[in-house]
Amino acid sequence: MVISPLRRKVLRDLRRLWAQVLAIALVLAAGVATLILGNGAYSSLYETRARYYDDYRFADIFADVTRAPRALLGDIREIDNVLAAEARIVKLALLDMPAMVEPGTMLMVSLPEKGGRGLNLLHLRQGRLPDPQSAREVVVSEGFAAAHRLRPGAPLTVLMNGQRRDLLVTGITLSPEFIYALGPGEMMPDPRRFGIAWLPRPALEAAFDLEGAFSNVVLKLAPGASVDRTIEALDRLTAPYGGAGAVARKDQISHAFLDAELKQLSAMVKVLPPIFLLVAAMLVNITLSRLITLEREQIGLLKAIGYSSRAIAQHYVEFVLAIAALGIVIGISAGVWLGVGLAQLYARFFSFPFLIFTRDPQIYGLAAAVTVAAAVAGALLAVRVAVALPPAVAMSPPAPADYRARMGAFRRLFALRQTGVMVTRHLFRWPLRTASGTFGVAMAVAILVASLWSFGSINHMIDVTFTRAERHDALVAFGAPEPARALFAARQMPGVLAAEPFRAVAARISHRALSRKLSIMGKPETPTLSRVLAPDLRPMAMPEAGLILSEALAEALAVRPGDRVTVEFLEGARRTVTLPVSGLSLGYVGLGAAMEITALNRVMGEGALISGVALQIDETGQEAFYVAAKTTPKTGFVAVTALTVARFKETLAENITVMITVYVGLAAIISVGVVYNFARIALSEQGRELASLRVLGFTRGEVSGILFGELATVVLAAQPVGWLFGYVIAFGMVQAFSSDLYRVPFVIGPEVYVTASLIVCVAALASAWAIRGRINNLDMVEVLKTRE
Amino acid sequence: MSETIFHTKGLTKVYRSGAQEVHALRGVDFRAARGEFIVILGPSGSGKSTFLNIVGGLDTATAGEAWFEDHQLTTLDERGLTQYRRDHVGFVFQFYNLVPSLTARENVALVTEIARHPMSPDDALALVGLTDRRDHFPAQLSGGEQQRVAIARAIAKNPEVLLCDEPTGALDSATGIKVLEALAEVNRRVGATTLVITHNAAIREIADRVLRFADGRIVEETVNATKKSPAEVSW
Repeated sequence: MVISPLRRKVLRDLRRLWAQVLAIALVLAAGVATLILGNGAYSSLYETRARYYDDYRFADIFADVTRAPRALLGDIREIDNVLAAEARIVKLALLDMPAMVEPGTMLMVSLPEKGGRGLNLLHLRQGRLPDPQSAREVVVSEGFAAAHRLRPGAPLTVLMNGQRRDLLVTGITLSPEFIYALGPGEMMPDPRRFGIAWLPRPALEAAFDLEGAFSNVVLKLAPGASVDRTIEALDRLTAPYGGAGAVARKDQISHAFLDAELKQLSAMVKVLPPIFLLVAAMLVNITLSRLITLEREQIGLLKAIGYSSRAIAQHYVEFVLAIAALGIVIGISAGVWLGVGLAQLYARFFSFPFLIFTRDPQIYGLAAAVTVAAAVAGALLAVRVAVALPPAVAMSPPAPADYRARMGAFRRLFALRQTGVMVTRHLFRWPLRTASGTFGVAMAVAILVASLWSFGSINHMIDVTFTRAERHDALVAFGAPEPARALFAARQMPGVLAAEPFRAVAARISHRALSRKLSIMGKPETPTLSRVLAPDLRPMAMPEAGLILSEALAEALAVRPGDRVTVEFLEGARRTVTLPVSGLSLGYVGLGAAMEITALNRVMGEGALISGVALQIDETGQEAFYVAAKTTPKTGFVAVTALTVARFKETLAENITVMITVYVGLAAIISVGVVYNFARIALSEQGRELASLRVLGFTRGEVSGILFGELATVVLAAQPVGWLFGYVIAFGMVQAFSSDLYRVPFVIGPEVYVTASLIVCVAALASAWAIRGRINNLDMVEVLKTRE
Repeated sequence: MSETIFHTKGLTKVYRSGAQEVHALRGVDFRAARGEFIVILGPSGSGKSTFLNIVGGLDTATAGEAWFEDHQLTTLDERGLTQYRRDHVGFVFQFYNLVPSLTARENVALVTEIARHPMSPDDALALVGLTDRRDHFPAQLSGGEQQRVAIARAIAKNPEVLLCDEPTGALDSATGIKVLEALAEVNRRVGATTLVITHNAAIREIADRVLRFADGRIVEETVNATKKSPAEVSW
């Protein structure tokens, strides 16, 4: 095969400029990798979930009731568009593991019906399903089994309804209902302290006094059926049996958390790849422009001997396409490799029986196409110059760079020496390039600011939630509301220093056409252990009659203090009342509404009932308390603040390392790519001047100082711009991620900006260091002899 | 002869490229007096530029000695050579090598800022007759003017030595004469020992002494009893 001379030149140029080519290719690769990773992970997660839901008949609607007769199920199945309905028993139990002192919770669920009619089917990983006749055989969730090293045949002791039951694990399973298994009162899944166990229905009926009844119903709807209308119909049927309002799949905890993850991925795909592709296009442009300037005479010669403008344009486009191809290859490899890593991360948080890792050629095709488009777009402006050059003009040397800028004031202001003047004028001589370089470095800073801020914000959230608001050491939620005297019993428990009651009532709060279902919390007039904070973080006193709504809820309902809302209680006498909104509170997790506990009991038309107690516990009495809390029949579940916080921080710490590595890597690729190319171009333009200065007696340090001064100016100018971009991106993310599940406080401390800038400056220094050798070896003898 | 400022003994330079050895200088013995104006002639490859580069501290010798006053240049390291160039040597290049982003005055100031006993940039420009062009950028100056700025830049530090490699090589005759006049003027006023490399034999008449290089050696040395002024020379 004969390679045409121009193509051979492309290959030689690539080899000669390999470092710059690689730097640009890496920026492109980062764009490709994030695009593939984001799109790939999105469709993997989405499709895996969809397949899982489909294959295992995941329900569309979920409803809890206190106790409904099984006969009601017939009525429920009659609701329009209901394809299947299954009555279940779903109840909390307390763990009693010999090796575990701290309290743990087990969600006991009756096994799905057999014969293809059941919903939320189980995927058996090990062992077998319990014998339907057995009262002690159980299958447990995989995460829980792994955390406790349980295998089929292992014993498991739980306290159901206050009674100790010795169970036998026969199998280990997964369920589409608990892909993300969050325990009650927790902020992060903790498979050690929360598990799910499936038992034959009769065993649970007996344990919870629910013979002939059920406590939970799940529905599968016909495609296209109205979820809202079905929920309305279902709620009407369950209301007499303590139905607390059904939830749609979109509000089901496990599903909603997966949705949040998907939302985050799609946001990543919208933000990161465009940044990289834009920066890469810019780098292609400035690098190719310089190459064309240097090759001006060659271009003239080629045209003079008869090469068409088109052939020359094609030559440079080929050079760029080669860079793009390199970027695509590296990017796809990195994307696939990172994809596998992300899939493993998902496997830790989400329990899937399988993970469909999409190898959709469309995703790769799209990434490649976008990358080529970005590179070629960057090349076009530069190539246009080459095309437009008439051969005669091209063959004569370019006119000397014309500097006319007067900068008297600027110069006096900074007391610049001549070398400083050189730096400044050179930067202003190529404003577009200087701006591009600044923009590129700024984007590196922005990526870091936009990723690092969240850790500070989460810490802030934890700090506010657990040191200012929820200041209790433990929280005991009763299985059912208890008379107020249960508070005194709680105070008598070992290790308890102080106790504060709370009441939690399921309710639907509405204002005009907007409504939300949530728990209204009743608290003492001036709570000390579980406080409600105003937006300025001051503790709030509970008003005599009105409600305090979290800002998120007020926003969702479009209400302001002074407005009245309709409250429909979904428990007890199920009254509907209107209440004034007395104030707004801060709240990061979920939607919140609070009022004074006696006022709450009064409007509900009930006596003095409490749902649980917040406790302050003496550290030395902790273990005794755990034992006592476990064995009290009233206890529904126990949440221990220190364990919740520790788990949260642990999870965060695991993610932080991965995330920081990835984002620092991405930012470093941009900074190195931009700074290195910028430096090489500046050196190529000024090499002759700098060598002349060396002849005149400037030291290596002084000469490097001029070039580094230029780089430093660009890098420093980029910092505030990067902070601003980062702030804007982070703000956009906060807006995009805020949901009824959680809202992240927008807190960016100075340390975020400092860290981002430090990382970028270190990467810039490393790139500058890489060209130091070239500056030191400037050929002084050569410059005496040759014209540029 | 008056005080010696430069001398070399057996100065040798061998370039190695691959297995091949190129002898650029084959044992040059040379002596220059303070204030002398020396013209160096010779064909391409005769070793004259290599010689100038070594005595100018831009290159190192393979063997032999080169002395500037009591500094042995051949023993100095990179740092020492930089300091020598900075303190004692002024260079004028064939292609001027001005910094395009600095005005004439700023180009001169570039050197005076780092020199020990500089003259003012304005005085240096006045010496080469460019006072009224001092605020122009190189792109706004003619070739001759640019070269005169380069001379002003070279002498503004009051150097003991002024080294010029083909200073008129890129200029036409009339402009070249102006540049030579500036060099002669500076040599007289500042008293810098001036070495000028040229292809142009006509220039020899303005020198105190003329050296001819061939094949890495000085093959001929002529002392001019009477110097001509640059204006009397033509080529």
